[in-house]
Amino acid sequence: MEFRDYYKILGVERAATADQIKTAYRRLARKYHPDVSKEPNAEAQFKEVQEAYEVLRDPEKRAAYDQLGSEWKSGQSFHPPPDWGSGFEFTGRPGGGGGGGGGGGGGRRYYAGRAGGGGNASEEDFSEFFSSLFGGRSPFGAAAGRAGGRDHHARIDITLEEAYRGATRMLELKRPEVKPDGSVELHSHTVRVSIPAGVTEGQLIRLAGQGEPAAGGGSAGDLYLETHILPDRLFTLDNRDVTITFPVAPWEAALGSSVTVPTLGAPVEMRIPAGAQSGQKLRLRGRGLPGQPPGDQYVQLKVVLPPADSPQAKALYEEMRSKLNFDPRAGETR
Amino acid sequence: MVRVTQVLEAHVLGEGDWIAAREICGLCRLDLEAVLELAQLGVVSSREQVPGEWQIPATALPRLRVAGRLMQDLGVNVSGAALALELLEAQRELEKRLRRLERLVVDY
Repeated sequence: MEFRDYYKILGVERAATADQIKTAYRRLARKYHPDVSKEPNAEAQFKEVQEAYEVLRDPEKRAAYDQLGSEWKSGQSFHPPPDWGSGFEFTGRPGGGGGGGGGGGGGRRYYAGRAGGGGNASEEDFSEFFSSLFGGRSPFGAAAGRAGGRDHHARIDITLEEAYRGATRMLELKRPEVKPDGSVELHSHTVRVSIPAGVTEGQLIRLAGQGEPAAGGGSAGDLYLETHILPDRLFTLDNRDVTITFPVAPWEAALGSSVTVPTLGAPVEMRIPAGAQSGQKLRLRGRGLPGQPPGDQYVQLKVVLPPADSPQAKALYEEMRSKLNFDPRAGETR
Repeated sequence: MVRVTQVLEAHVLGEGDWIAAREICGLCRLDLEAVLELAQLGVVSSREQVPGEWQIPATALPRLRVAGRLMQDLGVNVSGAALALELLEAQRELEKRLRRLERLVVDY
């Protein structure tokens, strides 16, 4: 595995104060936060910053990290020393020690499954380097334990076609379970989830009893999946309505015509009224995502001109110019 | 490591479904006070079926999760998160409109 220079990632000196670390984190979090950032690769950058902050904001972890020495460079091959973690007292609570000055007070982020991307960084999203030093099997992570039964949340990516037709997904759910000796072990199991047709962007799917198991034998929490519909090549989605930009020839728009339009289901025949203009929207009622009521499909016309790249085509354009007496800018003069 | 394959019935939560505000807290990394304050600010709606037992519509969860992330990760308070949410959603709506218009633009 590769060494990570957490000070370099946050852009602070090794002697930085807790306040300086917090300020650096906040500045970079603002820059790379996936909810607000337009930076390329923002999510990966943000997770890296979170990982660095997770260690440097916690006095215990920072002290242990500092003991590795300052000679290490990012990217260097690294293995934890055999006596790693010895000599430290562990607080025995999730998120390690720290406290004063730590932003948010949120402790460790839990996860229920890997169902698509997005969302917060969990410890699982952190690097192998972090896991080997501070993860569940390290001296820092082994003391973690908590009351059970909470609900969990994951995001699931589906295509627009899957949203229309319904989908089946295999999800690998990972659950931390506390062993009798107090250490935490990850158990994974695979479940098959049928996603009904007609789910929309951001809709919630509840899987009862698939959240965190209760420590005292009570009922497990629920797992909530939040659907994220991936961008489609042809259609844009707005709630249950879809819009397609549909190219037409000038004569189809001018004279009217019958055309075959793709929909989320089978293609349909649609009548373009004579005199249609570029940008005009035609509605195919009920051809959007299923629901009560179902969405509509909007067909936005885009008139595409044939190129004047042959003597014949040029002659036709010349003929139109001379015979049509057409001024597209009539009425637009001040 | 135990592997079990199960088939699960998914229940899609729609506009008519409400979740207890306390349950929302664990899903959004927000405390109850913040959830109720966001409701007071109009970020999400809420109802009190039984005195003291607040509920939030299931459809509000994505917004509350963003609010929770902004508060935890960027250190903004409830009002700041509410404002940021409003601006982010306005920005997203404008970007959506821009993309639609760009599809009609012809490159010269």
